[in-house]
Amino acid sequence: MEIFHNLAFGFEHALTMQNLMFCAIGCVVGTLVGLLPGLGPLATISLLLPLTYSIPTTGALIMLAGIYYGAQYGDSVSAITMKIPHASSIVACIDGYQMTLKGKTGLALFTAGVSSFIGGTVAIVVLAALAPALGEVALMFGPADYAALMMFGFMCVSFVTTGSLLDGLAVCMLGVLLGQIGTDINSGVQRYTLNFASLVDGVGLVSVALGCFGIAEITKNLDEHSERTPFSGKIHLMPTWPEFKRIIPSALRGSAVGSFLGILPGGGPSIAQFAAYALDKKFSKYKDEIGHGAIEGVAGQAAADEAASRTSFIPLMSIGIPENAVMALMMGAFIIKGIQPGPNMIKEHAELFWGLVASMWVGNCFLLILNVPLVRYWLSVFKIPYNVLFPAILFFCCVGTYSVNNSLDDMFITATFGLMGYLMMRLGLEPAPLLLGFILGPMLEENFRRALLLSRGSFSIFVTRPISGTLFGLIALFIAWQVYSFVRDSKKRAAARKAPPPAEVPIPVAPE
Amino acid sequence: MNDRHLLKGLFLIAVSLAFGLGSFKYQMGHFERAGPGLFPLLVSSVLFLIGAAIVVRSYFDEKEPMYFNLKNIALILGSLVGFALASLYINMIVGILLLVFLSTVAGTSYSVWRNVKIAAVLIAIAFAFKDGLGLQLPLY
Repeated sequence: MEIFHNLAFGFEHALTMQNLMFCAIGCVVGTLVGLLPGLGPLATISLLLPLTYSIPTTGALIMLAGIYYGAQYGDSVSAITMKIPHASSIVACIDGYQMTLKGKTGLALFTAGVSSFIGGTVAIVVLAALAPALGEVALMFGPADYAALMMFGFMCVSFVTTGSLLDGLAVCMLGVLLGQIGTDINSGVQRYTLNFASLVDGVGLVSVALGCFGIAEITKNLDEHSERTPFSGKIHLMPTWPEFKRIIPSALRGSAVGSFLGILPGGGPSIAQFAAYALDKKFSKYKDEIGHGAIEGVAGQAAADEAASRTSFIPLMSIGIPENAVMALMMGAFIIKGIQPGPNMIKEHAELFWGLVASMWVGNCFLLILNVPLVRYWLSVFKIPYNVLFPAILFFCCVGTYSVNNSLDDMFITATFGLMGYLMMRLGLEPAPLLLGFILGPMLEENFRRALLLSRGSFSIFVTRPISGTLFGLIALFIAWQVYSFVRDSKKRAAARKAPPPAEVPIPVAPE
Repeated sequence: MNDRHLLKGLFLIAVSLAFGLGSFKYQMGHFERAGPGLFPLLVSSVLFLIGAAIVVRSYFDEKEPMYFNLKNIALILGSLVGFALASLYINMIVGILLLVFLSTVAGTSYSVWRNVKIAAVLIAIAFAFKDGLGLQLPLY
């Protein structure tokens, strides 16, 4: 029973007074900031990242993980009560908001809280069992395999987050190019620094993240001129026993789906929610009610959301490759703290790894006993008008950027990325894959160069090795499928244009 | 011309050219021993191809005008740059005042008295950061 031994070891580290405190602070602050309009998990983490600089490594990472699932929970709260999803809780809006309309807000929030707890617990068992095993596999990876895996990840993330392979890949490549700015580690040549001293060490992760997600998001909200009406209904949290019984099967289903989808490249909370919701719609005992405010519609997706957000740590910590933008940001935080995530991390920093795993469960408990009962107080955040809120968020963006290097020059870089993020948003390019490309870019270059060095300049190394060969095969298949479906669609469209237009065409709304 | 898809493709092509042509300044080496310019050149070539594909695709897609509100983004970026310059040459308290009073012009309503209150709270928070968390903010 090695798992239990390891978990017990982890709890020893997670349950120290200091780490408990960091975990609690992370959960609370994450929930609070995650509730703010326009700040999803990505913006929340990058905004709060500088807070962790002065904290010891284990504590800092525990706190960051807490911020992450706190933000995730805050996000679902704003989705349920006001139908304001950020990036991650689109599904919670459907049945969650329907329940609010029926006056069952408390029940919906309780369901989301308990299901998240169940999902998180299942995912942690999966994480503890699978991560070390996968780490063993990762030790067989050569540079060519790593390069192939990263490109495969780009492909999956591009497709999943933007729905359009071309757009997503373009944004990934843009991120890779931005990652090139700075000193080349192999030759010592300064690339693309334009002779700015502040660019010699490369563009700061916090500048990119705050610019593309924080500042661009604020400007977008300002463009929309929308003032939100705060939620003012009553919240009655405790469910009846029959209601409680309905939560469990759905939450367990969601946990299983979420745990599985969280591990796959490009996977993560968003896609897991949709899958769990679809599954409940097919197999739940109350499937007819789903869509009109059913408990199952909230429970399944909340469990999947939480489970996937935990298991998405598996590829990061065992292979060292983040599988989505949030994990890329986490990896950046690990590296800032001097920890290189990957197969060696579990062995060399065992107390960190198992402490983090155990703290995730502790964070689960905090969310359940601290944040769920306090939810009505959290909601008062929404009473602050946006005209007051946004200068404050801007100020925190400034402090966050400044405190990385205590340098005001970094502010100009953040502002530049704010412009770029806004431009991309208006061009219809989703900026999330940029972060993945930015973090993985230098690693991709390193592995690419090393693979070619080993093969004496021959590209056959990428195809002949079993792991990288398989991955590139999958990539080729995927591209072929995309080209095929594009040709098919444009033929269909050409045919539709020739036919007389139907009376009412639903106007497609581009996802922002 | 104001078509979002076309502009998207052109934007990507422009970025790829900026990085791709820039990479010729650095040593290329050859595949066996890649120089610092090789990888950026490869990546920008891929980006160029993607941009070109998006431009081509835009002729098949429905045209969609691009929305761009110059006023708000200019105000926000201006207030950020103003904050940095004021903090650099005067001090951060002036920077905070500038940030609050300039950025709120982009909001739905403007109130001097409200801005005074926001600025006061933010300055208090800044002092808390400096004295409580030990951040080295050049407040005065």
